[in-house]
Amino acid sequence: MSAKSNDRMGLAQSLVTYGGKQGASEVEVSIQEGLESRVSVLDQNIDRLTESVFKGLSLRVFVDGKAASASSSDFTLETLERLVDNAVARARLAGQDPFGGLPEAEPVQAKAEDLKIFDPAVIEVTVEQRIAIAKAMEAVGLKDPRIKKSTGATCNSFNWDVTLANSKGFAGSYRRSLINCGVGFQGGEGTNLFEDYWGDSSTQLSDLKAPEAIGKVAVERVARLLGGRMVESQNVPVVFDPQMAAWLLGFLGQCLAGVSIARRQSPFADKLGTKVGNERVNIVDDGLLVGGRGTVPFDDEGVPCRRIGVIEQGVLKSYLLDTYWGRKLKQRSTGNSGGPNNLYWAAGTSSPEDIIKSVDKGLYLTRYLGLGQEPTTGDISVGAFGMWIEKGALAFPVSEITISANLGTLLQNVEMVGNDLELRDSVSAPTIKFAEITVGGKSG
Amino acid sequence: MKPIERRKFLQLAGAGAGAVVLSSLFYDQLFAGMILKPGEELFASRFGVTKEIMKKVLDAALSKGGDFAELFFEYALNNNVVMEDDIIRESTEAITLGVGIRVLNGKKTGYAYTSDLTPETMQRAALTAAAIASTGAKVRVAAIKPVQPARQVYLMTSPFADAPLGDRITLVKEAYAAAKAHDPRITKVVVNLGDSLQCVTIVNSDGLMVSDARPQARLRASATAEEKGKRVTGSSNKGGRVGMTFYRTAGTTPKEIGEAAGKEAVILLSAADPAPGEMPVVLGRFNSGVMVHEAVGHPLEADGNWQKTSIMWDKLGQMVADPSVTIYDDATIPQYRGSLNVDDEGTPTQKVMLIDKGRLVSYLHDRLSARILKTAPNGHGRRQSFSNLPIPRMNNTVLAPGSASAEDIIKSVKKGFYAESYAGGMVENTGKFTFSVNLGYAIEDGRLAQPVKNATLIGTNVQILKEVEMIGNDLAFFLGSCGKDGQTAPVPAGTPTFKIRQMTVGGRS
Repeated sequence: MSAKSNDRMGLAQSLVTYGGKQGASEVEVSIQEGLESRVSVLDQNIDRLTESVFKGLSLRVFVDGKAASASSSDFTLETLERLVDNAVARARLAGQDPFGGLPEAEPVQAKAEDLKIFDPAVIEVTVEQRIAIAKAMEAVGLKDPRIKKSTGATCNSFNWDVTLANSKGFAGSYRRSLINCGVGFQGGEGTNLFEDYWGDSSTQLSDLKAPEAIGKVAVERVARLLGGRMVESQNVPVVFDPQMAAWLLGFLGQCLAGVSIARRQSPFADKLGTKVGNERVNIVDDGLLVGGRGTVPFDDEGVPCRRIGVIEQGVLKSYLLDTYWGRKLKQRSTGNSGGPNNLYWAAGTSSPEDIIKSVDKGLYLTRYLGLGQEPTTGDISVGAFGMWIEKGALAFPVSEITISANLGTLLQNVEMVGNDLELRDSVSAPTIKFAEITVGGKSG
Repeated sequence: MKPIERRKFLQLAGAGAGAVVLSSLFYDQLFAGMILKPGEELFASRFGVTKEIMKKVLDAALSKGGDFAELFFEYALNNNVVMEDDIIRESTEAITLGVGIRVLNGKKTGYAYTSDLTPETMQRAALTAAAIASTGAKVRVAAIKPVQPARQVYLMTSPFADAPLGDRITLVKEAYAAAKAHDPRITKVVVNLGDSLQCVTIVNSDGLMVSDARPQARLRASATAEEKGKRVTGSSNKGGRVGMTFYRTAGTTPKEIGEAAGKEAVILLSAADPAPGEMPVVLGRFNSGVMVHEAVGHPLEADGNWQKTSIMWDKLGQMVADPSVTIYDDATIPQYRGSLNVDDEGTPTQKVMLIDKGRLVSYLHDRLSARILKTAPNGHGRRQSFSNLPIPRMNNTVLAPGSASAEDIIKSVKKGFYAESYAGGMVENTGKFTFSVNLGYAIEDGRLAQPVKNATLIGTNVQILKEVEMIGNDLAFFLGSCGKDGQTAPVPAGTPTFKIRQMTVGGRS
């Protein structure tokens, strides 16, 4: 531990002690401090450079089962102690909540250094190197005749320390790093323009994909949309590419969060232990995935993270819970107070090519536009872009259509799961084919 | 992608920002009086950052050859109260302190920020931002001359900042009770009151120094209704740059806010999925401002236009909409959620005409875009906090009313779709957008018929603007928040009831 991390733990623990003296029955303090370094490039020129140290402290107090919380980027002791005083006074005016309170301290087995979530090389990447990465990604599109315009390229690096202490005796800290980069392009004619984006992120510098490869994917994702047109409204099988499947899985994660379940604002309330999908639905949240983008040894409340079988062969095995919402559901926290950690849909056996080949007429979905995801009902309705499939082959691009479905129904209608799972984000999925979804377009 | 996420509060409630302050010593010292006497005193008296220190930091920022430098000091207090399961579940107080230091060198921007307002730390951050240039100092920092904002658009009576927690709890409980009591089928209510006071001082190398103290409040209710195994959620909210009296005024009382959430939930119980296809669409007053925001506002933010990524970059001076369409953005409307005395670069706000009788006449500018496009900044440089760069943003965007009555507009449609409230909208640089409709109605023979949920409207702005057919006389606003470049900003938009000749409605068959 560096001197600075000792300072942070010292500050956190002293505020925990101070809160107790002021009348709090339980206190939790967490500190985040780190460095962000951002580069953006447009048309091969530097657009923006940002480099800063950021910090924030947040705390929760409980007084006889009544809760209050606070946060600050002002670390002067006078301010922080006053925040604690205010929080104790505010808590007294809250309602008595039998579900409130800190989790019982559990030993954290995972060692941060074994999880590969920090790489000193990420800190050492210079501004010049990041500019070079951004320019190299963008250059791929600028020399491709199908691309009209770059919408910009970025390469950012972050590292930060998390320190957590509470009055139940928990004291833990870890250090994380992340480097990410990406580029967007535009193509098309007149007012019928199309755009898309591709990027990569990693906790380890050496795992970051080559800039040229990233640029190439971004170019292809735009190029295949060019000339896209509407189709007639109809019900067809829809193949979600891995990004769209991950988007859908993110919505599923939201519907399985303790807050959604306990509020009954989810189609999966009361569904634990029941079949919510067919046997092709296998969902895991692995908080300890080595090198994972969402990997942490313990969550925001100090609960150890773990690997959770969320849905196995279609049977709902676990919600994603923090302590509070878990208690409301008479269950223990699953280490998900920060949301899903590394949520993924387990790979199947079909190649993406075979999945497309299996479709006589349908949609290959590569891009969505919209916010039409209603957690209470599981209803989905968004704008869609992609390729029309005819007789097992990608026939022509489609644009400005909509897809409408219900998440609960979709999970019962999974027809094929791809073997192309890549754990490249904190929510990841392979290619997935659903039996039938309503595509909205021209009036037929 | 630039979503308006008016729904996100369901997840955010109780998560991070906001709280309630008692009349504490700290609070009194820092904020009492700040409202009437905003200014440089705060950062000088509380943190020892005098004008002389600010000048030295600006000198450092320009020491490597930048041509403009700016300091954005922020001290903000956010409060939040959440009621759920019949109890006040939690209150939160958040303090944001820091300075953002920006250096412009031609089109390039260098940026650094810090929460430590010591001269040494600020100096170091200034040199980091200065690294965007490397020629050696060229421009000198002008003598700093403090000015007062020319207008006061916030309601400064009975400020939330002075209200005890008990008074806020009363408002929350009233909304909660009203939503619960609306109908026996309401099984779940969550109410959330958020308020903030943001004190800023902006100082730049042209010698400008201006301070602003900005209140903001919003009371939100969501209600879940259940019947025969079907569950739906409705929501409602009201607020602005106002004080406590706002919620004691007819039309914006907690009771009305709670009832509206309950009412929407109960209507949604009987809502069906729409039949997909192309049809005439009537967009209702209040919430359809989201359409103006996405289809017009974002594409006219000047960053996308100097970068030539917006579909509108080459259309200035051209007819881009039906001649009945006039759209403006006005940050000076008193007490509105998006209103400001000065923007986050210290530029006085004004009413900016964007589309005048169908013709595109201006973009929304910050300093950088105005400099590149050789025009004057028009008060639309905004940022989420000191840790973000200012970028062109909307404030209060408005589709000017026409003369038709809402009834006549609906009557003119034989078979179509009426959109009442939205989960949000999203737009790309290409002008392609979608709106997600939370509650709508089928229009049959000129009357609102079956309630409809889970619909999506999709189109391209350059086409839709030419398809506007009838514009109503009943202008009303919705309260939005918008995400762009990772920054959230409060952005209401207003429309009367209006009609689009033909639009694609997504649904399920």
